[in-house]
Amino acid sequence: MYLKLLGAFLIVSAAYTYGYSISLKYRKRVLQLEELLLGLEMFLAEVNYGLTPLPQAFRHIGRRLKDPLGRLFSDAAALMLKSRGLSARECWKKALKKNYDALELSREGMEIMDRLGFVWGKGDKSGQLNQIVVIQELLRQALREAQNEYRRNDKMWKYLGLLGGLTMVIFLL
Amino acid sequence: MEGELSVTDTGNNIRKQICPLLAPRVRFIVENLPDELLVKTEEIRLRHSRPLIIIWAGGESYLGSDGPVATPWEAYKVDGEDLEKTLELLSGYSLYAYEEELRQGYLTVPGGHRVGLAGRAVVEGGRIKVLRDISSLNFRVAREVKGVGEKVLAFILDRRMGRILHTLVISPPQGGKTTLLRDLARLISEGAGILGQSGKKVGIVDERSEIAGCYQGVPQLDVGIRTDVLDACPKAEGIMLMLRSLSPQVIITDEIGRGEDARAIEEAIHAGVSVIASAHGSSLEELCQRPIMGGLLQKNYFERLIFLSNSRGPGTLEMIIEGERGLPLYSARHGGE
Repeated sequence: MYLKLLGAFLIVSAAYTYGYSISLKYRKRVLQLEELLLGLEMFLAEVNYGLTPLPQAFRHIGRRLKDPLGRLFSDAAALMLKSRGLSARECWKKALKKNYDALELSREGMEIMDRLGFVWGKGDKSGQLNQIVVIQELLRQALREAQNEYRRNDKMWKYLGLLGGLTMVIFLL
Repeated sequence: MEGELSVTDTGNNIRKQICPLLAPRVRFIVENLPDELLVKTEEIRLRHSRPLIIIWAGGESYLGSDGPVATPWEAYKVDGEDLEKTLELLSGYSLYAYEEELRQGYLTVPGGHRVGLAGRAVVEGGRIKVLRDISSLNFRVAREVKGVGEKVLAFILDRRMGRILHTLVISPPQGGKTTLLRDLARLISEGAGILGQSGKKVGIVDERSEIAGCYQGVPQLDVGIRTDVLDACPKAEGIMLMLRSLSPQVIITDEIGRGEDARAIEEAIHAGVSVIASAHGSSLEELCQRPIMGGLLQKNYFERLIFLSNSRGPGTLEMIIEGERGLPLYSARHGGE
């Protein structure tokens, strides 16, 4: 009897953990988009008030953001600083590839990330600021969608996991 | 001034300082040039859809993928991607940080080398706002020629008072004015040789980043241990700032031409600071006809006038004149004093 109860408990907790891990992905997506927006805000300040060169600005941002976004910026800065002729876009792309697994972004989110590669360091000050502001707007939209998805899916996946586990236990018993 | 020069290792400088700023394909070509060619290289020219060219004293070479080639048709054609990448690399991926330089049409890079830019000018209110669609890049290799000022220093030093005389260096473009000013700054600041051990505090107002070749505010060329450099600063404002806060004994600046520059120089002279400046020109008469310079010369502010020319290579010392009475102190034609 005890063995059965232990088995049932294990099944239910495994199913709940599965549901929870999926809901966590939606949460991470929201957090990472918020972090990226914060990073762009920092970048605007670096350009606007300090005219900080891109690699140094990336290094500052990398130190202040949480991973994996922090690591993404730091990796891109490191690539630029030891550049063997790579463009800013190539450095950003390489850093994105390196951190791809840790990023929980949707397809739209990744597209925005990719688009950022075309923007970094391009144009004069006002051009650079305007381009970043446009990307920020796209990100805010993606963030709103991610928050809606998170609200929709968070509870659903947690309950689904729990109920799925319970259903399995009932069948097995 | 020949025979006194100790030219730094230009070939090595190009490989270490300029090559990392070139787009990979161009970099490969320049990096693999023979040493004897790199050592005398003065300019590397990248022009959209046109051959890659290097200029050296007295000539030029077209560069193909495997080195110099005989005709422009065999040369490597620079494309838009090369230019874009080179621009990114030399601005440290941050064109936005170089707006003023883009407006002026040049950037200074580590090592003090200058990169001239040409492209489409965006004009606002009659003034260039920024240069965009860059179609030409000209890497001008900075050459530090130590020792050129030693001969001149003897003429501009008042040994009795131990002060540097107010001096104007005059030559046509590419005549070696800036090189002479830089070496004078180094010699006066370090106080070696003729000055004994008493080096003087020197302030350089380097509006076009040519004298000290500053990169991010740090002089890349040797301007001496007691020298402060105000980089990219308008001359008139810079001279006043120097006087107010840096207590220089000698102020060095180049290419004076505007009214406010002349006023600031007068101010410095009246404040008891020695001034060494330069101006474009080939003769005293020509200079006297120009309104601003003529005014300064008539007031006899400059105690020494030094004329340089290109006649036997850049920096040929032609003549040194005593300012007040116009007496020649040195003339190349008469073989010395």
